[in-house]
Formats: sequence, structure tokens, C-alpha cells
Amino acid sequence: MRKLIAFLGTLVSSLFVTAMAFAAEEGAASSLDSHTKSALAISAGLAIAIAAFGGALGQSRAATAALEGIARNPGAAGKVQTPMIIALALIESLVIYALVIAFLLQMKI
Amino acid sequence: MHHFAWLSWLTHDKINEHNIHIFHASFVVIFLIIATFLVARKLRRTEERLVPEAGTTLTNIFEVAVESILGMMEGIIGPGAVTYFPLIGGVFIYIFLNNILGLIPGFLPPTDNINTNLAIALTVFVYYNVMGIKSHGLGGYLKHFLGPILWLGPLVAVIEVIGQAVRPVSLSLRLFGNITGDHLVLGIFSGLVPLFVPVIFLALGLFVSFIQAFVFSLLSTIYIGLATAHEEGRGEGHHGH
Repeated sequence: MRKLIAFLGTLVSSLFVTAMAFAAEEGAASSLDSHTKSALAISAGLAIAIAAFGGALGQSRAATAALEGIARNPGAAGKVQTPMIIALALIESLVIYALVIAFLLQMKI
Repeated sequence: MHHFAWLSWLTHDKINEHNIHIFHASFVVIFLIIATFLVARKLRRTEERLVPEAGTTLTNIFEVAVESILGMMEGIIGPGAVTYFPLIGGVFIYIFLNNILGLIPGFLPPTDNINTNLAIALTVFVYYNVMGIKSHGLGGYLKHFLGPILWLGPLVAVIEVIGQAVRPVSLSLRLFGNITGDHLVLGIFSGLVPLFVPVIFLALGLFVSFIQAFVFSLLSTIYIGLATAHEEGRGEGHHGH
């Protein structure tokens, strides 16, 4: 009985969250002069370019080490692969931070 | 860029692009509730469950997911991982299904809005701090912030607090950036070459969705393990899962 109540309560509260979704946000529209806009555009492009360059170098080193480890010991391929994926995702997250900044800059143009 | 979504037909006037992600997240939650309800009834009868069913049934999918997530958690935290399993398992499945939803044409992934990600990240943040306080006591937990050398305490405490405060932000930003970028790339390439090229990006999207959910839950597990670590000669937690 308690589990039925818990299940129904979860279902109903998830529907309530949907119904409470009617709060509107406001977006700001600003008018900047062309120098500021060009600076924003150049910096947005350069941000992601430099971050992708550095991120690719870092990920290549991680992949090199992992592939060498697999080449030495092919039986350990499964055990090497999981930490390699984790390292790649963490390095990529730094590139993603720069991408987010590029998005934020690009939205101000 | 205004995307088309099937769920925007629910109510025309109230849904705008700012709260459409809540409807998609609720869609995933309702689907999960129904799926787990169907599976939980079967799993309750444990005598019949000794031999698993053949083929790919819903129960088997859930069993595989639970076993692999629990194995990952036990590899990091050790034997006490089962207590923290409900939150981390739920976080993983929720984030994974939210990411996958973006690959279906006509749906937007709720995780490409920073609010969804921040909600999950703040929940994990509060949870591991509360777990740390529960296992060490309030004074003992705060003493960890001072670091190993006591007279360098205030300096280390500032760095530690900043590092801790950045954790939910980094968790949510990583997920947000990956899923938004992936969705954008899929959209752009589907506009360029609509015929066979999007298959590659759908496969990449599937991979990225799984990896990001995995990395989120892995980092949450590591934070919980760091917060509740007892330094009394913990034995080998890695027994080769």
C-alpha cells in the first residue's frame, strides 16, 4: 500500500512540475556598435579555435599512451580502454568550457 | 535557432522556447516511471528470477544497467557503495535518457538547457556534502578542508572551497556543452546533406550521450568517495571488475 502511494505520488508530482513550468524568462536585446561586435565575433572564433588546438594535442597524448599500452599487452585492452575514455572526456570538457564561452560571446552580437 | 518539437503542440500559448525543456524532461520521467513499474513487478518474485529470461527484455536491460553501474561504483568507493547507489544509478539513467531524447527527430534534449544540468549537479553536490558530514561529523568534515599541514590551513581552505564550489558548475557545463554542440552539429549536417551523412552523426551522438552520462555519474561517485573516505588502510577496492 505504501509503495502504491509512493509510486502515485512520484507520478503526480512529476506532472505538477510540468504544470509549474509557466514562468517566463526575459532575454535582453542590446545594440552595440560595430567595433564591439567585430571584437566579439573575432574573440568567439579564436576562443574555440585555440581551445580545440590545445585539446587535440592533449587528447592525442592520452590516446598515444593508451594505444602503446594495448600494443604491449593486448589482453589488457578492456582495462586500458575505460580509463582512456574517461581521460578523453575530461580533457574534452575543458574544450567544451571554451565552446560555451564562445556561445555566450556570439549571442551578444 | 528555433527547433520544432512534437511536445510544443500540448498548449500553444504557454509553452515558449524557455520552458519546453521541462516538458521534455517530464516526458522522460514519466516514461521511466512506467518502465520501472512494469519491471519492478516482475523482479519482486525472486524465486522465479534465478534463471534470467532469454533475449532482450526490459528486465534484462535494467539488470545489465544496475550491475554495470554498481560494479563501477564498487571499483571506486569499495564495499560501501550500495548505500549511494540509488542516487547515482538514477542520475545515470536519467541523464542518459535525456541525452538520447535529442537524437529522436522532433524532440529536444532537456540537458541542452543549463537548468536541467544544474539541478542534477546541485543535488549531487548537496548529497555528497551531507554524506560527508554524516560519516565524519560536522567538525571532522570541515577539518578536511584545512589540508594536511595545519598552519597552512587558511590558504588551503580557500583553495579547497573554490575547488568544491566549481564542481557542480563544471559538471553541468560539461554536459550542457557536449549535448548542445552535438545537437547543433547534427542539425547543421542534416541541413547540408540530408541523405546518409546524418547516420554518422547519430552514431556519434549516441556515443557522446552515453559517455557524458557515464562521466557525470563517475565524477559524482568520485566526489562521494572523496567526501566519505576513511583513512584506515582501505584494502583493495579494485578487484578487477
